[in-house]
Amino acid sequence: MPAILEVENLVKKYGDFEAVKGISFNVQEGEVFGLLGPNGAGKTQTISMLTGVVTPTSGTARIGGYDLRTQMSKVKEINGLVPQDLALYPTLSARANLSFFGRIYGLRGKQLKERVDDVLHVVALTERADQAVDKYSGGMKRRVNIAAGLVHQPRLLFLDEPTVGVDPQSRNQIFESVQRLNRERGMSVVYTSHYMEEVELLCNRVAIVDQGKIIALDTIKNLTSLLGGGVIYIGLAMMDENTLAELAALPAVKEVVLVPPPASPPAPEGSAPKGTLAPAAPTPLLKIVAEHNQTAVVNVIDYLNKKNLTLTSLEILQPNLESVFLHLTGKKLRE
Amino acid sequence: MKALSITLKDLQLLLRDRGSLFQYFILPLIFILVFSGALSSIGSTTKDTRLALAVVDLDGGAGAQALLAGIDAAGGVRPELYEQANAETMLNENNLGRILYILPEFSQDLSEGRPATVRLVTHPDSSAQQNESVLLVVQGVASDITLESQILASLRQMGDMQAGNPQAQEAFSTERLVAQANSQFERSRTEPLVVVKQTIPAKAGEAEETPALGQAVISGITVLFVFLAAQTAAASIHEEKKVGSFRRLMAAPLSRPAMLAGKLLPAFLTALVQIVVIFAFGSLGLRLMGATPVPLENAPVGIALVSILIALCASALGILIAAIARTEGQIGGMSMLVLWGMGLLGGCIAPAFLLDRYLGPLPKIVPHYWANRAFDDLLIRGLGIQDVALELGVLLGFTILFFVIGVWRFDFE
Repeated sequence: MPAILEVENLVKKYGDFEAVKGISFNVQEGEVFGLLGPNGAGKTQTISMLTGVVTPTSGTARIGGYDLRTQMSKVKEINGLVPQDLALYPTLSARANLSFFGRIYGLRGKQLKERVDDVLHVVALTERADQAVDKYSGGMKRRVNIAAGLVHQPRLLFLDEPTVGVDPQSRNQIFESVQRLNRERGMSVVYTSHYMEEVELLCNRVAIVDQGKIIALDTIKNLTSLLGGGVIYIGLAMMDENTLAELAALPAVKEVVLVPPPASPPAPEGSAPKGTLAPAAPTPLLKIVAEHNQTAVVNVIDYLNKKNLTLTSLEILQPNLESVFLHLTGKKLRE
Repeated sequence: MKALSITLKDLQLLLRDRGSLFQYFILPLIFILVFSGALSSIGSTTKDTRLALAVVDLDGGAGAQALLAGIDAAGGVRPELYEQANAETMLNENNLGRILYILPEFSQDLSEGRPATVRLVTHPDSSAQQNESVLLVVQGVASDITLESQILASLRQMGDMQAGNPQAQEAFSTERLVAQANSQFERSRTEPLVVVKQTIPAKAGEAEETPALGQAVISGITVLFVFLAAQTAAASIHEEKKVGSFRRLMAAPLSRPAMLAGKLLPAFLTALVQIVVIFAFGSLGLRLMGATPVPLENAPVGIALVSILIALCASALGILIAAIARTEGQIGGMSMLVLWGMGLLGGCIAPAFLLDRYLGPLPKIVPHYWANRAFDDLLIRGLGIQDVALELGVLLGFTILFFVIGVWRFDFE
């Protein structure tokens, strides 16, 4: 299938700060592509550049075959944007909001009315279409927000964190809408989120973004296979130089890494009370990548008991995008 | 067309915003009622507050009397007869700001169709603004006298011709009479019978009695509130940015100029409607309330032109504020400091002539001053559109300046 979006080394700088550091990826026609990363990773900046909201510092992209830098008006006709904010006029009705955004895309008369009715149906708001948006629940507002990005029937829809602050029921309706648009109308979607469950549910392929860079890009299956059967974090009261190698040699264990302790900031000058003891050194934390989580846990506990090593903490992570992100960056997605 | 969609949407939003509607259309009327009441109390003393004009009548004929009666009736200026020596002594001692001399043989020259001269001599320290007002009133009356004399002379000439040839009835058709009258109007304009000469004052600064205070209220409040609407225009742009709809507009196939035009146009239209509402109240409302109405009929085209320029200038100022202010608080702060400050400086709240003596030429740096001056010239001084060309030009200049800086500094991202 041809690529509807080809991004080449896109960079956005604000003075010395580099918000996006040379991102490249492709999205195939009819694909739902995820951009997963914590807040501030550069996802929104990337989308903003691809939709013409901000100008890239360098790099470019082709959308539907049109160059982002030289054919922006063509690109804008192909794109649909659902921003993270509720970009609506609260005192106007859903229908008035959608009609306005339709007119901005050049729709008029009967065609405009049909499109507005259609997207109201897609987001299941036909019955309350004439009510002012500020009377809606948070989830309903989110759905109107999505409808406003659909009214001109874009080929490529950018959904920027569309479920922030949404109740579970509305969240499910949003997922269903996205899946239907993709399945029934062949709409390509770029979906950004810091909720890995959403990305896992909706997306064919995912780019994991952190600090303005893509740190992994693949199908969800391939990304989670990086972790084998899962990851186990164990804290030990003490350990010797053989412990790492012996743990790594256990059946069902793929890899063992000593996780560096988090740096603690120094106490402000003069604030440390005199005569107190320095804090104890943190106990060792080990990351064990398992081929099979359950077997590995049993073997590790058995080994620790035999060696009389005291376990201070234990965390078992199933192989998913959250644990992949943690594995790749040492941080949690929602930190 | 897309810009118009933004405009229509903004007007829809405005119609649902009771607070803004109150600020646009009701608050100015409340201000007018309060201020005109307060100023009326200043002007309601038995004292004649018209500008005093010392007159030395060296002619003493019927023409001079007609001229004095005309000045007295024109309003705004009160002619007072003085002996020549006495008047000149007082002028030298700066106890009089100006003297109008009606030169000998003024009436005779007038009656015989020869140019007759009056001379306005002003003290170097007298107020330039007041001198200008007096001069304009005298010129207006002189123009009327010229026209009247020439029409009478023309009719007399026609009467003589008809008396000399009673059979030539058809020669005095309606068309011919109208053509003759038009010719007289033109001649009275290009060849004035009464010539007003003035000694140009060296500097301004004298303060005299105040001209009709109450009449200044409507134009001042109109200018103040139309410019205050710049805050609403700026707030509307800021709100679009805050809720994110601005991003959505930026992502749409809509050029940046079209987007700005779409935001500018509702502010402009609202300002125009605001002016219409305030002037309608000033004309009809005040008349119904038994107060002196605003004489809109004096120069409707000029008033319309000034209104359009003020509305444009205020809208461009809104763009500028939106470009400079980063937060809602900054927009509010700017409105308090800049818009109310400009309004005060420009003579919207306290009449300009009161500020003149303390601030000198400083008020000229704000568009409000020029807008007020234009409205005052048209509504109070009874001048025509050609007399406010400077004010219109300056307002246009401010509009272009605000718009260019606003667009230059506007952060679309």
